[in-house]
Amino acid sequence: MEQHSDTFLDNASAALGNTAQAERRDVIAAFAPLIRSAAVEGFTEFDALRQHVKRVRQHSLDHLEYYLGQFEHEAVHNGNHVHFARDGDELNSLVLDICQQHDARHVAKGKSMVTEETGLNDFLQRAGLEVMETDLGEYIIQQAGETPSHIVAPALHKSAGEIRELFQAKHKLGDRELPETVDLVSEARQVLREHFLKAEVGIIGANALIAENGYSMLVTNEGNGDLCANLPRVLIVCTTIDRVLPLAQDATAMLRLLVRSATGQSQTCYTSFYSGPRRESDVDGPIETHFVLLDNKRSEILDSDYREMLECIRCGACLNHCPIYSAVGGHAYGWVYTGPMGSILTPLLTSLEQSHALPNACTSCGRCAEVCPADIPLPDLLRDLRHEENSKKLSAPRWRLGLKLHSWLTRHPPLYHALTSIVIPVLHWFGRKHGNFERLPLAAGWTSQRNFPAPEGKTFMQQYKAQQKRREQGKHER
Amino acid sequence: MNASARSEIFARLREITGEAPAERIQRERQALGSAPVPAPPAAELCQAFLTNVLKNKGTVDCVANRTEAVTAIGHHIYSHFRSHRLVAGNDPRLAAMPWRDAGVLPRFGSLEVGEPVALTFAQLGVVETGAIVTWTGKSNPAANNLLPEHHIVLVDTADLVSSMEHAWGRINLELEKTGRPRGINFIAGPSSTADIEGQLVYGAHGPRKWHVILMGDVPADALALARAAVPA
Ligand code: SF4
Repeated sequence: MEQHSDTFLDNASAALGNTAQAERRDVIAAFAPLIRSAAVEGFTEFDALRQHVKRVRQHSLDHLEYYLGQFEHEAVHNGNHVHFARDGDELNSLVLDICQQHDARHVAKGKSMVTEETGLNDFLQRAGLEVMETDLGEYIIQQAGETPSHIVAPALHKSAGEIRELFQAKHKLGDRELPETVDLVSEARQVLREHFLKAEVGIIGANALIAENGYSMLVTNEGNGDLCANLPRVLIVCTTIDRVLPLAQDATAMLRLLVRSATGQSQTCYTSFYSGPRRESDVDGPIETHFVLLDNKRSEILDSDYREMLECIRCGACLNHCPIYSAVGGHAYGWVYTGPMGSILTPLLTSLEQSHALPNACTSCGRCAEVCPADIPLPDLLRDLRHEENSKKLSAPRWRLGLKLHSWLTRHPPLYHALTSIVIPVLHWFGRKHGNFERLPLAAGWTSQRNFPAPEGKTFMQQYKAQQKRREQGKHER
Repeated sequence: MNASARSEIFARLREITGEAPAERIQRERQALGSAPVPAPPAAELCQAFLTNVLKNKGTVDCVANRTEAVTAIGHHIYSHFRSHRLVAGNDPRLAAMPWRDAGVLPRFGSLEVGEPVALTFAQLGVVETGAIVTWTGKSNPAANNLLPEHHIVLVDTADLVSSMEHAWGRINLELEKTGRPRGINFIAGPSSTADIEGQLVYGAHGPRKWHVILMGDVPADALALARAAVPA
């Protein structure tokens, strides 16, 4: 997928200017956290589960070579072809080769962030294949020529009205008006059903790969992924090498975290495990199945201080709880992965040079880390990336100068205290009438949006010391 | 296969993670134990299962035996489709049911275009999630789970398991006995989507209705208690 992360700030301003979309984002930002917390509150051992899964994930990554080998062995034993791809281009070519070997013209695709990452659709379409996204949200944005704005709900930025107009333009509706949401869903169901029946190849992702038995796990509510996996002659599962878990029960333990965090359910409608091609006694299913396992910098991340990021289960909770994501929406991030997880993954999977604005899209409020079911210290990783940005001199020179000054000052406490004890009373005196400032030199970024409160007259340390002193005296008097 | 990509990726991983004997790795995994399981909504298994099925927006029925089961199935089909036709997999347990008693006319095989109802005899029911488990094979074509308008699922109370871990315990026994089926499906509700403005709509791609019939020794008040726990 083409990347536009370098213009994050402009993208964000544009997004904030689109009032209708901003209002919809506000609504989503209000209800998504409620759904999650209702699901988690009813489960007293949620945190214990989170810790258990984290230990299992760490163990799997610590022994990734072993488990990947075991998975490959079992998957081949189950009758699959297993391929490895170093980067996106390799994955795309492997998939195209398979399609061409089968003279395929039509591909039905389930939701897969990995193939968004590699730009598979464009690649296959350029080679003349008709590729249809079958997850409703993905289908909508594919028809609109857009990219996903959320990793779980890709088309949530669009209103029902916009979707209706889209279908009116793209489908042969005759005089049907599709007044309700149900009608829109039925319309897409009809169109996609036809595509499912003519597709020669189905492509899906995987939420986990199970080393002990070579099954992959697919989690959906619509059942579209399952249609992709069962109806076409050929099935290709595209995922990354870090998705391997040792045991089947590890995959379902992770599922407990995933669904509660993503949609507030205790289980999605369809959780399916696929092992390979049609067996002798089967009456349906693909006759040939492939796994394409992508590295694309996962091994680099494994070898870096950002290893924990590989434990992300793509639930989207950090997006739903991020004040920045809620304000600017997913498209501003300019790539596949958005919100806090995207602000870490994008620099790691593309380059910090192209995307160094993203780790700055953070208020350090810590909500993402609080809700992350994989217990990833997202704000810490974002801070580390900002640190890297600074040492690679990627940020604006005046920012770096400001940071340098600030850090030098904080390393000299007497001077810091001396300076603040001059500035604070001065600000207090100037602001004494209104209690705040409408304009302030060097702080236009703040005051252009809201007033800056005038300080109380004493610095924090002065007030703190005074309070300690009063306490001491109080103790002596008692 | 792209052999050089494979060997490069494996070599790199080995470099990063080092090598350890398989037994040690397996021992380490074993030492991590199993995951905590959420508490069921009721102590009694049938009631808890029914409650969770209702939460998943399934509809439910309880029957004591196979005769009652065919009657309940016939009733469901007739009340929704004014018909007695039904498709079911080649499951010997289904073939042996007294269909004629209820006037139901099952066709055994795979769902065809235009057939609205399919019946599956579940292998398991998972109390924890209110899901039913089936696996592909002669007795259960995948199309029957995925393509009908209504999916009716029969679950024997003897096949209820408390958690997903217990489900895997049972599934793994089966895998040892008969080999690995192509697909193992945990189904928990009618096909749904919230992709348009977050509004929940059923029948996204698969069944619009998911009807679960629990058959066997179900306590008399289980269904009423489950219904009371889940506001419609
Ligand atoms: S980082 Fe955590 S919260 Fe965000 S998507 Fe990944 S697992 Fe979910």
